[in-house]
Amino acid sequence: MGNGANSGGRTRNVVFRIKRCDGPGKPSRWEAFRVPVEPNANVISCLNWIAAHPVTMDGRPTTPVVWDSNCLEEVCGACTMVINGRVRQSCSCLIDEYAPNDGDTITLEPMSKFPVVRDLWVDRQRLFEGLKKVKAWAPIDGTYSLGDGPRESPAQQHVRYALSTCMSCGCCLEACPQYLKEEDASKWDTAFVGAAIISQARLFNEHPTGAILKDDRLDALLGVGGINDCGNAQNCVRVCPKDIPLTESIAAIGRAATIHGFKRFFRGA
Amino acid sequence: MTDGQGFLQRHYHLLRRLHSLAGVVPIGAFMIIHLTTNSSVVWGALNGRAHIAESAAGRGIETFQHEVHFINNLPLLLLTEIGVLWLPIAFHAILGVAFALTGSNNVSRYGYQGNKRYALQRLTGYIGFLFIVYHVATLRWGWSFLTPAGTTWSHYYAASTLAAALKGAAGQWSVAGVIVSIGYFIGVSALVFHFANGLWTAAITWGLTISQAAQRRWGYVCSCVGAVLMLAGWSALAGFLFVADYDEAVQIEERMVEQMYGHEYLLELKEKFADRPEIGRSAVRQAATRPYPGPAPLIEE
Repeated sequence: MGNGANSGGRTRNVVFRIKRCDGPGKPSRWEAFRVPVEPNANVISCLNWIAAHPVTMDGRPTTPVVWDSNCLEEVCGACTMVINGRVRQSCSCLIDEYAPNDGDTITLEPMSKFPVVRDLWVDRQRLFEGLKKVKAWAPIDGTYSLGDGPRESPAQQHVRYALSTCMSCGCCLEACPQYLKEEDASKWDTAFVGAAIISQARLFNEHPTGAILKDDRLDALLGVGGINDCGNAQNCVRVCPKDIPLTESIAAIGRAATIHGFKRFFRGA
Repeated sequence: MTDGQGFLQRHYHLLRRLHSLAGVVPIGAFMIIHLTTNSSVVWGALNGRAHIAESAAGRGIETFQHEVHFINNLPLLLLTEIGVLWLPIAFHAILGVAFALTGSNNVSRYGYQGNKRYALQRLTGYIGFLFIVYHVATLRWGWSFLTPAGTTWSHYYAASTLAAALKGAAGQWSVAGVIVSIGYFIGVSALVFHFANGLWTAAITWGLTISQAAQRRWGYVCSCVGAVLMLAGWSALAGFLFVADYDEAVQIEERMVEQMYGHEYLLELKEKFADRPEIGRSAVRQAATRPYPGPAPLIEE
């Protein structure tokens, strides 16, 4: 990172308060850094600057802040963190919006619902386990070619495309009052799966080929930690960076669960 | 669904859906009936068939008493109460608390309206359940030591004993009465909110409303239901606290008993309730009917 001399404007300093943690089970602490920012800088570029100058505001040398990131264009979800108390991707978080004036402060915390690996980097494995629990895929593996898939109507595509943009970033889970942190992986099976997983179950239930696993998905979602654990706070849909209609997915799976439950009650199994 | 799991785990979906259903029917449906009946103490003023009372407020008292007589003459009342009210409410409350404890509160970080309602739904559940326990224990199970004047509800003296149980002896305000009345206001408001919001979330739970537009439309319907019920609840309270005259209520109630069951029965009833403080005339009225004590003594300059 340069010092902004080529940007035409004067650089300003922004204070980053960062919640740090050296590793799983270690205590966390706050550290502050003064970072000179250029116009159009984002949180990631500032974290890069800190990595190159790991010295706190009071002049104490420290370790570079660790974070997770990949695509840098808000489609992978890796750099999700809690910025000024609210969850979002740090790559799309522009400093000019969050700290327009010299001396403004930006607070960075790791997501609170997942185990911290280090600093701002969390382990979102539980999300993946949830996707496996509801079999969020279309089963096409086999020993011979199944040929072309069934046709999808444009209306169906329209609904499913929005759901398919989910990047498993975890924003909806971080903001959900029903989704609580669970470090013990053996309890993930009965802990709430959250909006992202429910929405993916809908995505594949409405997929012409994926629908073959519909009953399995609904069986999984009718149990503890499934659809019934939703408390309808609807924070998920408000914080989703992809504007996925998560609450519609929850209601749609709710309707499917109603029908599936009645079927199971009266037809057995 | 392995064998090692407990009852709650094995029948989780069924229990959650029964919990949701119980909140709407029978509990919610009963609350609509209950608040409609109770608010008749106010809207009964418009009741053209009330013929014993001579004032508008009296017609409210008469209408309310008429409804109470009707309910108390229903067959198998105790069985209905247990099966349709007490057990479903206990079920809804116990499971509700168990489910509420699995959540958390992050309104300070995510202060969206929906999130506030999520938190309020749980808070009003707790408040509402405590209120219902107090309400049923005092006015149905006769735990009179918990009422401001030790009043026991009598369905022959519906409005007057209610006023006494809310305000104090003989329907006159006491400190304890003010506290109980405020408690009723909070309790009724909490339960109406809980029902209206629960009606909205139940439609999502069961998959009745799916699109955001449908959820918004159903939200308007639930808001209207809530507003009307809130009005009914508040007007019922205002009716018993501020509108109904205690002595007039006792008079009307006794005349209605006389008409329905005969003079003998009324005398029996009065005998039975003779020593109950709230059935006597109010202190104000007693003072007013005492013989003229003579002119006030002159004050010497």
